[in-house]
Amino acid sequence: MSELEISNITKDYGATRALHPVSINVERGEFVTILGPSGCGKSTLLRILMGIARPSAGEIRLAGTRIDPLPPETRDIAMVFQSYALFPHMSVGKNLSFGLRMKNVPSPERARRIEHALEICNLTGLVERMPRQLSGGQQQRVALARAIVMQPRLLLFDEPLSNLDAKLRDTLRQELVYLHRRIGTTSIYVTHDQAEAMAMSDRIVVMDGGRVVETGTPLDLYRAPTRAFTAGFLGQTNLLTADADGTRARLPWGQLVALSAQAKGIARVSVRPETIAIRQDDTGAGTVTSVSFMGANALYTVGIAGTTLKVSQAGGESLIAAGSRVSLDFNGALHLLKDRELPEAA
Amino acid sequence: MAVVAETLPKARARVFHEDDRLLVSAGLYAALGLTIALPLVLMFLWSVADGWAPPNVIPRDYTLSRWLDMIADPGLLRAALNSTVIAVVVTFATALIALPTAWAMARFPFRLKRLVEIFILAPVIIPGLVVAVGIGQVFLFLGLSYSITGVILVQIVGTLPLMIRLMTATLETIPDDLIHAARSLGAGTVGVVLHIILPLAVPGLLAGGLLSFIGSFEEFDKSFIVGAPVVETLPIKLYTFLDPYSLQLPIASIIAFILLLPALIVFVIAGRILRDDLMAAGMGKL
Amino acid sequence: MQAALHDRKIQLALLLLPGVGYLVLFFGGPLVSALIGSLRLDDGSFTLQWYERIFTRATMLRGLQTSIYYGVAPVFVSLLVSIPLALLIRQNFWGRKLFNGLYKLPMAVPGIIVALMVIIMAERGGFIDRVIAPFGVSMPKLVRDEWGIGVILATVWKQIPFMTLIITSAFAGIPEDIRHAARSLGASRLNTFAFVEVPLAMPGITAAILLTFIGSMGSYAIPDIVGSPSPRPLSVLMLFEFGEGRFAQVYAMGMVLSLFAVVVLLAYYALTANIGVNRAKGDE
Repeated sequence: MSELEISNITKDYGATRALHPVSINVERGEFVTILGPSGCGKSTLLRILMGIARPSAGEIRLAGTRIDPLPPETRDIAMVFQSYALFPHMSVGKNLSFGLRMKNVPSPERARRIEHALEICNLTGLVERMPRQLSGGQQQRVALARAIVMQPRLLLFDEPLSNLDAKLRDTLRQELVYLHRRIGTTSIYVTHDQAEAMAMSDRIVVMDGGRVVETGTPLDLYRAPTRAFTAGFLGQTNLLTADADGTRARLPWGQLVALSAQAKGIARVSVRPETIAIRQDDTGAGTVTSVSFMGANALYTVGIAGTTLKVSQAGGESLIAAGSRVSLDFNGALHLLKDRELPEAA
Repeated sequence: MAVVAETLPKARARVFHEDDRLLVSAGLYAALGLTIALPLVLMFLWSVADGWAPPNVIPRDYTLSRWLDMIADPGLLRAALNSTVIAVVVTFATALIALPTAWAMARFPFRLKRLVEIFILAPVIIPGLVVAVGIGQVFLFLGLSYSITGVILVQIVGTLPLMIRLMTATLETIPDDLIHAARSLGAGTVGVVLHIILPLAVPGLLAGGLLSFIGSFEEFDKSFIVGAPVVETLPIKLYTFLDPYSLQLPIASIIAFILLLPALIVFVIAGRILRDDLMAAGMGKL
Repeated sequence: MQAALHDRKIQLALLLLPGVGYLVLFFGGPLVSALIGSLRLDDGSFTLQWYERIFTRATMLRGLQTSIYYGVAPVFVSLLVSIPLALLIRQNFWGRKLFNGLYKLPMAVPGIIVALMVIIMAERGGFIDRVIAPFGVSMPKLVRDEWGIGVILATVWKQIPFMTLIITSAFAGIPEDIRHAARSLGASRLNTFAFVEVPLAMPGITAAILLTFIGSMGSYAIPDIVGSPSPRPLSVLMLFEFGEGRFAQVYAMGMVLSLFAVVVLLAYYALTANIGVNRAKGDE
């Protein structure tokens, strides 16, 4: 039995369906990220988990107990909000003790737990401060401390880093990962930032259009996505239609490349830009249409047989000028997708 | 209002059930009808009743003659004219005086700003009666006692604070970038004021203007002290008919309606323009 | 740079001049002259006798009490209606939008007309009396009565919309997330309301209380028309003294009324100083 079992949860707003039956299992101590573009249903799912929205159907169990009919205050779930949602009229200490008071935790234990939460969130010395006297990063830490001081069974994060600048975001991301390893609370983290998801999670649940698209470890989802949406959302990719013949497939411009799995007939495939090698070749089939030098690598777009490919070249002594003719070598296999159709723009 | 109290326990429910909603609506509208509509209707009945002796719940005979008499009364006509002229002048003068000051309060950082803010608020805090008796001396010295000008001047003291606060709240929301952008596109100071600031200040100006107009039209305490008995406005006229010893409900009701009508019309228009958030920004914090 | 700074200062002064200047001339000036007048005898010598009389004469003392009573009592009644009403109208019910516009109507009705309505409705022999007469019940005296019920009715009628409007906005200004955070931390609906929403709405609520208190404490028309002839509030007594031409006494009474208002304002600042929500700028 999993720690958290979300089974066939749906949510309808009038005639529109925000969540199609969604089922997710989360193991104890796991850090799972729900990743998707805005409007994919991830926030709705989070609100349902928290208890501020009711599912239209389905059930949720936390440690075996059904929680979906329970009001939020009895669920043993704490949440870190995107807006931090600190109580502006309470000091840091009061913010932290609020939940403990509400749950009637006795005073000595309250003090001990607050002390501990402040320490692991690097907030010692700020107990007396009011939220408005804190920087964005500090406010974020207080929001986190306020959640973990509850020692909940489940921690929810609603894009908690999106209001911070890039540098601070990186730092806090690392702190969060470290913190999770230390306290080991089962966590669900909602974000639209794929880099964040890949860097932090044990497992990623990719959502789109109110459905779970795919679930897996960051490495599996990046290396072997089974859906075009996943391939496109996690990092960059080229989505192509090829003519498969067993273990190999023919690309539109005639090149024969190995396939990741057996297939026959029309096949939808994904190929990462960094697995394609580009070579200047006056008789090549492709033409470089643009070059972006990114520092560690160079990103080319290559027009070939009416399609456009993204190619990433690491290192390299010199760049290939736009307009040059090139030929492409495929170092890895084409990754076979299960989609019946490809999205319009990859 | 008992109806409101009855529905209170359900107030915390985020979404009402279908029949609850109807119940709440029914309760609220019933309360509204009893407390607002009924007195207005009764007042109207009084104005057209031809005798309405105690046992009757509704008058038996009706007449329009009092209305006709009152409308033809030159004293009342003059009072109505006075009230209108005063309200219009007060509204425009208030806006004119308030605008530059509101701009300074909204856009300039300066020391003592809080102090100026409190001073501007002070006329709301100090009872109008006190201002009016105090101003009597100044007006005597300036020769403005018992003049329409005097009434206008004393009324502006009451309307100015709200207008400045509303305008400040409105002007604060204009982003600096917008003004910089206009300047970079070649607009001079006049151009910026005319094409950027004024159009964006319109909601605040309208709200403040309507409130000033109503405030002036219905103002009694200050106008009474500074103007009566020489300058008569509608509220002053009505007051003279409400003397407990010679109370004449029919005539008082007629004047009340004449006094109420413009205010109600303005209020109906205002309902669309007066945004709650704007009002709260103006008065929700002192 | 120095010149530019200088320039900006002049700009600021010029911009502030119309509004602040006007208030200095027609508000500050009269107030100061009234203050001076309240401390002078006819021959120009200094005296506190006008103030002494307010605090020693029975009518004056009762007047002072009555003013405070007319200020406080309606506020309590209004709050009892306004807070539930504010919570109710943020819910979804049929005809909510229309109600939202209609309930504010009394804000546009002059105090004198409200007094007239109270007479028509609640006076002995008035409408309510006539409606209940067939049942053998008769109205207690509600207009010009000892307890000032008529004054309270009229004042409350006029205060409720303003108060409800400000309180509604105060509650609406609290971000949803804050409510949800409180719930997820184990607070019930009631606790969330008591420990999170009410404290955060407090600046708005107290501002509404303050403004309505001051408005009704200093008002003249309503207590004069529907108030008891004895005791009369300070404002009505003031007009009486004014008519008698005892200006120094009038000024002294005005100063005492103003002092009350200022004390209440200071208490408000002290109470709300610790609440760190800057509502004016709308940032959270």
